[in-house]
Amino acid sequence: MFGYLVRRILIGLGTLILITFVVYALIRNMPGTPITDRLMEADPSRRLRKEDLERLMRAYGLDKPWYVAYFHWMGNLLQGDLGRSISRKQPVTTLIGERIGPTLLLSATSLILAYLLAVPLGLYASVRNGRPDERLLSTLLYMLYSLPSFVAALFLLSFFAVRLAGTPFELPLFGMHSDRFPELPFYGKVLDIMRHMFLPVLCFTYGSLAYFCRFVKSNMLEVIRQDYIRTAQAKGVPPTRVIVVHAFRNTLIPFVTLVGLTMPGLLSGSVILEQIFAWPGMGRLFFEAISERDYPTIMGLVLMFSVLTLVGQLLADILYAVVDPRVTYS
Amino acid sequence: MMSTPRGGIPIPQRDTSALAPRVGPRGLWREAWIRFRRRRLAMLALAYVIALAVVGILSPAIVGTRPIICKYKGKIYFPALAYYNRRWEPEIFFRDKFRQRYPENLKARDPHSWAIWPLIYQDPYRRVTSNEWPGQPGNPTGAQGRPNRYNLMGTTQEGIDVFAQLVHGARTALLVGLVSTGVAAVIGIIIGALAGYFGGWVDITLSRLIELVMCIPTLVLILALLAIIEKPNIWHVMVVIGITGWTGVARLTRGEFIRLKNTEFVLAAQAMGASGLRIIFRHILPNALAPVLVPISFGVASAILIESGLSFLGFGPPPPHPSWGTLLNAGRANLQMWWLVVFPGAAIFLTVLAYNLLGEALQEVTDPRLREAGK
Repeated sequence: MFGYLVRRILIGLGTLILITFVVYALIRNMPGTPITDRLMEADPSRRLRKEDLERLMRAYGLDKPWYVAYFHWMGNLLQGDLGRSISRKQPVTTLIGERIGPTLLLSATSLILAYLLAVPLGLYASVRNGRPDERLLSTLLYMLYSLPSFVAALFLLSFFAVRLAGTPFELPLFGMHSDRFPELPFYGKVLDIMRHMFLPVLCFTYGSLAYFCRFVKSNMLEVIRQDYIRTAQAKGVPPTRVIVVHAFRNTLIPFVTLVGLTMPGLLSGSVILEQIFAWPGMGRLFFEAISERDYPTIMGLVLMFSVLTLVGQLLADILYAVVDPRVTYS
Repeated sequence: MMSTPRGGIPIPQRDTSALAPRVGPRGLWREAWIRFRRRRLAMLALAYVIALAVVGILSPAIVGTRPIICKYKGKIYFPALAYYNRRWEPEIFFRDKFRQRYPENLKARDPHSWAIWPLIYQDPYRRVTSNEWPGQPGNPTGAQGRPNRYNLMGTTQEGIDVFAQLVHGARTALLVGLVSTGVAAVIGIIIGALAGYFGGWVDITLSRLIELVMCIPTLVLILALLAIIEKPNIWHVMVVIGITGWTGVARLTRGEFIRLKNTEFVLAAQAMGASGLRIIFRHILPNALAPVLVPISFGVASAILIESGLSFLGFGPPPPHPSWGTLLNAGRANLQMWWLVVFPGAAIFLTVLAYNLLGEALQEVTDPRLREAGK
């Protein structure tokens, strides 16, 4: 097991270096630089003189070719320094730290909701398999699964924020707080954030809910056919207990891998949804960083996402061995 | 004899194909099709996909402002073809300064001309003005553009017909789905096949490559690649979507090849001295194709989704190209104009749903494990 871990981590590090290298090459070769990009919008009279531009380029290390700059970035990273954002004049770690909270607020809430709802729904669907109510439920979930989240977000917005405007059910169009947020009492603040969260969380949740539900159901259907389930039924175990204890517990193995694989999604946020709801999260930071050509921020985010993806995969494999004693890594 | 070109082996081939219907069971594909036909939802999805393809291909004949076929100054022209490619607009209409107003100009400049028109006189790129078509009022703009007799699905802020954009957008969606998935499938199958068949260091290298592409966030990859091209057109967008979406196909193909490369028929082919490439493409690939089709079908859905998402973010094909995502983006800016959200949203949703249903049905009819479970 230990040898396996070491090998996996070493391979993972190799992959990380490759990923960051490729991404660095890609973004440094995108046309436009973080300095000139912003100035193009400003009026021509404020355009930088050539010497100033060169000085700035040097200060940010943009004068060096990208493969040299990459090793500088790498060296700083090894000293624990992700660099400073060029367009925002702040350390990248601070920027990411600011955005992690709002993203987690959405993703953690929706993930918990999805799991809490998916397990009972999936169990229900597998017990009632083939009956009309199950067909209806499964069809509905399947349609939800195919409904793109940005389409759903626009439908919901045009209903709750525009159609219901002026009624007590009106929900805010975008953002995380209302303008008068600082003056609100504590409960008012909580309520305000919850009102702003409602639609984004809904859009985040329904897709994964449908996916998890199908996942639980298909695993359950495979387990339910096993002999030990028939044995349990034959010896008179109550049906609920058969389903929950005998059957469901045995579907936990694939479920656990799923948990590992959803981990990166927890922090990456969603570019499109955060853009629609103007939610100050990671996805939006990422999108803004790409349009601003803010190399250090893009690299910091890419590094974080890929570390999470690799750790998630590793975690899934380890958990797999933990829950299933038949699996060993040697 | 071993490296006989294709022409050299028709006799044994004909032999086996003549025997097959008598002794062997029905072929895999026929069997799968029979099982597929029994699934009502899958057939519905297939019908929808075919209908969408027909609408996409015939879009200039359904909605447009250019005649499908016309006789002008003694010659026959097909001006509607210009919707497929701007350069296919017959030059004579530029010379005679039609300025894309065909109905009045045809009559004015040649009284003997005749034309067959699209079903609906509307344009996906510009606002149709008053009396351009005899008796048809100009398109309303802004919030006035709700669905009406002449604009079945309303108009955008600028007065461009939504129905026309939706119909012509079907062409974009169709193209994106096919081309990007085609690119992804070719890359995925080749890489997966090489990795699975040769194993060893080839497998290790290619598997790292697969992992690498899977770990880089798709959007970074797509946006960065699109930015490098500087002036991306629809073909660039499609290819970029394709070269970021092949990992699923590659992994599955690799698995299938690992499973199949130790079977007897591969051994037999090897013993006869067939080359590696020949074994890969003529012997193993046809047997591995059924399961690989599943991620391809899902891939069409995700390609259409990515394209509309990109257009929605403003990174899609440049403006004159009608895309469902661009329409949705217009709807986002004007949420009270519900028709800008509902119709393109429904189109994207139904298309993604149809391809997902197709993929799932394919999976169930070609997977032998599930096949037995279903009985």
